[in-house]
This record gives sequence, C-alpha cells and structure tokens, in this order.
Amino acid sequence: MKWSRLLSLLASFLVTALFVLAWKLVADYKLVSPVFLPGPDRAWTSLVRGFTTGDLGVKFLATVERMFWGWLIASLIGVALGAAIGTSPKLRAYLAPMLEFLRPLPASATIPVAIAVLGLSDGMVLAVIAFGALWPVLLATIHGFAAVEPRLYEVGRALRLSRATVIAKIALPSASPDILAGMRLGLTVALILSVVCEMIAGRDGLGNWILLAARSFRAPDLYAGVILLGLLGYFTAIAIGLLEARLLVWRSRAR
Amino acid sequence: MNTSNDAAIVFDRVSLAYGGRPIISDLSLDVGRGEIVCIIGPSGCGKTTALRMAGGLVRPLDGTVRVLGEPLTEPRRDVAIVFQDYGKALLPWRTAAANVSLALEAAGTPRSERPERIRTLLAKVGLASHEDKYPTEMSGGMQQRIQIARCLAQDPAVLLMDEPFGALDAMTRQGLQDEMLSIVAETGATVFFVTHDLEEAVYLGDRVIGLLPNPGRIGIDLKVDLPRPRDQLETREMPEFLRLRRTLFDFIEKAEA
Repeated sequence: MKWSRLLSLLASFLVTALFVLAWKLVADYKLVSPVFLPGPDRAWTSLVRGFTTGDLGVKFLATVERMFWGWLIASLIGVALGAAIGTSPKLRAYLAPMLEFLRPLPASATIPVAIAVLGLSDGMVLAVIAFGALWPVLLATIHGFAAVEPRLYEVGRALRLSRATVIAKIALPSASPDILAGMRLGLTVALILSVVCEMIAGRDGLGNWILLAARSFRAPDLYAGVILLGLLGYFTAIAIGLLEARLLVWRSRAR
Repeated sequence: MNTSNDAAIVFDRVSLAYGGRPIISDLSLDVGRGEIVCIIGPSGCGKTTALRMAGGLVRPLDGTVRVLGEPLTEPRRDVAIVFQDYGKALLPWRTAAANVSLALEAAGTPRSERPERIRTLLAKVGLASHEDKYPTEMSGGMQQRIQIARCLAQDPAVLLMDEPFGALDAMTRQGLQDEMLSIVAETGATVFFVTHDLEEAVYLGDRVIGLLPNPGRIGIDLKVDLPRPRDQLETREMPEFLRLRRTLFDFIEKAEA
C-alpha cells in the first residue's frame, strides 16, 4: 500500500520531468522559434527574476485574491440559493428551465454587459467571477439537497427537529459531497475568469502580465506567468482535496 | 368501540385514501399501555400506513388517532419509530455515538450529560465498543441496533417498529427479538410491531392483529397467552404457539386468496 503510493508518486514526477525535458529539447533544437517558445530554463529565470526584482509577486497575489473572493462569494450565494431551491420541489419546478438556460452561457460573454453596467472596476471583475463560479456550486447544491434520503427527513420529523436544524444537521451534511464537488469546479472557473477579466478589463494581475508579455514579445515572461497559473490551479486543487478528505472522512471509511 | 383514555394508542374509526383509492377503511383499534401488539397481513393491507399514522407521519382523512390520551396531529418525541431500512434511517456521516446523540440533541439534553447516556444506550443494544464506528463500517444487525439505541434515547412511551428485523439473517433476527423483549420489559414501553413473519408476531406479541387488504381493516385479533420471558426454543415448541401459528397461517392464506 505504502510502496505503491510511493511508486505512483515517483512515476508522476518522472512524467513531469520527461515533459520538461521534451520542452527543453524542442526549444534547444529550435523546432519552434525561440521568439515564441523559450526553453524551460529561460522561463524559470524569468520567473525567479519576476519575483525578486519585478512585481510578479504583487500581480500573483492580485490574481489569487480576485479568484478567492469571487469564488467565496459564488460559493456562499450558491449554497444558500441551492439549499432554498433544492429543498423545495415547487421552486425547483419553477426555476429549473431558467437555470438550464443561463447555465451554459459562457461567463466571459457577460463581461461586456458587466462593463456596461458596472464600469471597468474591480467590483465588475468580482461580479463576473462570482457569476461564472456560481453555476457549478448552485447546480451541485440543488442536486445535493434534492437527493437527500427522504427517510432522513422523516427521522427529523419524528424527532421534531426545526426546519433550520434539519437543514444544518441532516440536509447540509448529506449534500456536502455534492457541494464540495461543485466548489472544486467553481474554483477552476474562478481562476479562468480572473485571468480573462484581467486581460479584457486591464486589471493588474497575472492575466494582464501574460497579455503584456505576449504583446511585447517577452516570451520567457509569458511562460513564467503560465507556469505560475498552472501551479496556482494545482495547489488550490490540492487544498480543496484536503478539505474534502477532512470533511468527508465517513465516505472513505465505508467498507 | 371502547376508546378508554388508558390505552396507549387508539385508532378511532380511522380511514385513509391516496388519490381516491382507499388504503384503510374504518379502522378501530386500542393498544393498551405496556402491551406488545404485532400487526400482520398480506401486502397492501395498510399495516405500514397504520404505523405511520400512529407515528404522526401521516394524518387520517377520517377519524382520529389518539396517543396516550391526546389526539395526534404531528409526531411526538415520546413515540419512537424504528424503520425497516436502517441503512437509510441513519446519518452516514455520523458515528454510532453521534447518531444516537441526534435524539438527545433534539430533546435538548445538556451536552455534558450526552456521552454518559450514549454509552449506556449503546451498551444496552450490545454496541459497547463500537461507539466511534460509522454505520457503513458495521453489519446490518449492528446498524439496526444503532437505530434502536437512537429510538431508546427518546425515552419512548411507545415504540413503533416497522418490520425492523425483516432484512436481517435468521440468527441475528432471533438475537434482536430477545434483546428487544428484554429492553421493553425493562422500560415498560408499548410496542406496535409490524411484521410479515407470522412466527415472529406470535413469539413477540401479547396480541396479534391480522389486517385484510383492499381496503385495510381488521380481520383477526388473537390474544397470545404464552408465558414470559419467552424462549426461542421452548416457546416455539409449545402447543399453544403452534396453534396460534396455524390460525394465522390459515388467515393469511384466506386473506391472500
């Protein structure tokens, strides 16, 4: 068990190393022009320089902050709305068609509307991120609450639990695996929208950094930004995975 | 019908229909305090529906259900319901102890008193060393024991049991039957026990009531005069046990015909 985990970890490192090596070879032999594809060494140097002498750290934090707040707002609204809709079959019937219509709209398509209404402000960016990240959370929460075992509601009735207690002690924990899965997806959407908004609305952040680097042919800087985005996505996914493992112990302990 | 205030559960000319189809029609039945009444009958006779009405989960269209002298309009905490599908009636994200705790939380038992009571209750149902296990880590019999412990945590005057041992294997079932009888003897609770197992009904009950289907009504009301405490081997070999079993068997055969 322990050995096989170690082995798979080793294998995944190996695959990553091979990928970087392939990248290096392609760059070294100039299969792609170095103007467009710098080697990993140059990208790395640029990344380090960005953090030590440049303002990459500030931009990185700006993006993280934007993503986090947008995601948090989306999660809070999504869970609250989803709980209300999911626990009421009537509301579900009324709202489902509209939700299905709004859901597949690409969130970036709302950016022009948001700019028109809210202007080129940080509030607009936050609104767009929250709007986009809302859907996965909302829909997963609705499903989670709608799928609560009816028998458990009867147990709640037999024990004369209040509506609030039923939601807190029965419905919410029961829906928590779905909610966390939705929040995981929402986080990805939040990251994407943070970057897109920064590019379109010119807010300071990694998205803007990448766009400016591309426009001025600073390819190593561009790749440094992309690597940073990848790392950000990777580590937030790990963080939420840890949260899941902690909150859903009962699932992993099942026989 | 004599509807004395002494009875634990009184069905007084109760009727119920779903979408125009009568489920129970004009049912009158008294269950005395401390009595163990077993309900049998072919499927569709409304025995589970009757239990749900006694639990306040379903309200009759006509007539009244009284529990401990009061008309029932909603569930009461001193009436505990043991569901057949223990796997669905337990909270899978809570350990055995925390599942029992739910009933104490509902009753507003002070936090400091809960661990002690939970330990006592789990010990009573034979789960003393399994407090921290999740339901999914336990066998069906153990899961049903958690549910029984949670119901006992309600300090119930009335226990409504809906085929609680129906999904368990024979050995586990017999063990739980005896445990239930000794717990009930200790607490003096009234038991309304729905089952499809005729022998189980005779073995457990002070009375066995057979319902007829379409619509549900009483077809037979048998007094069980078997000595207590009952014994899985001796009781089941008594001529009276066999006679009652035969009577019920004939009843069911006719009811299903």
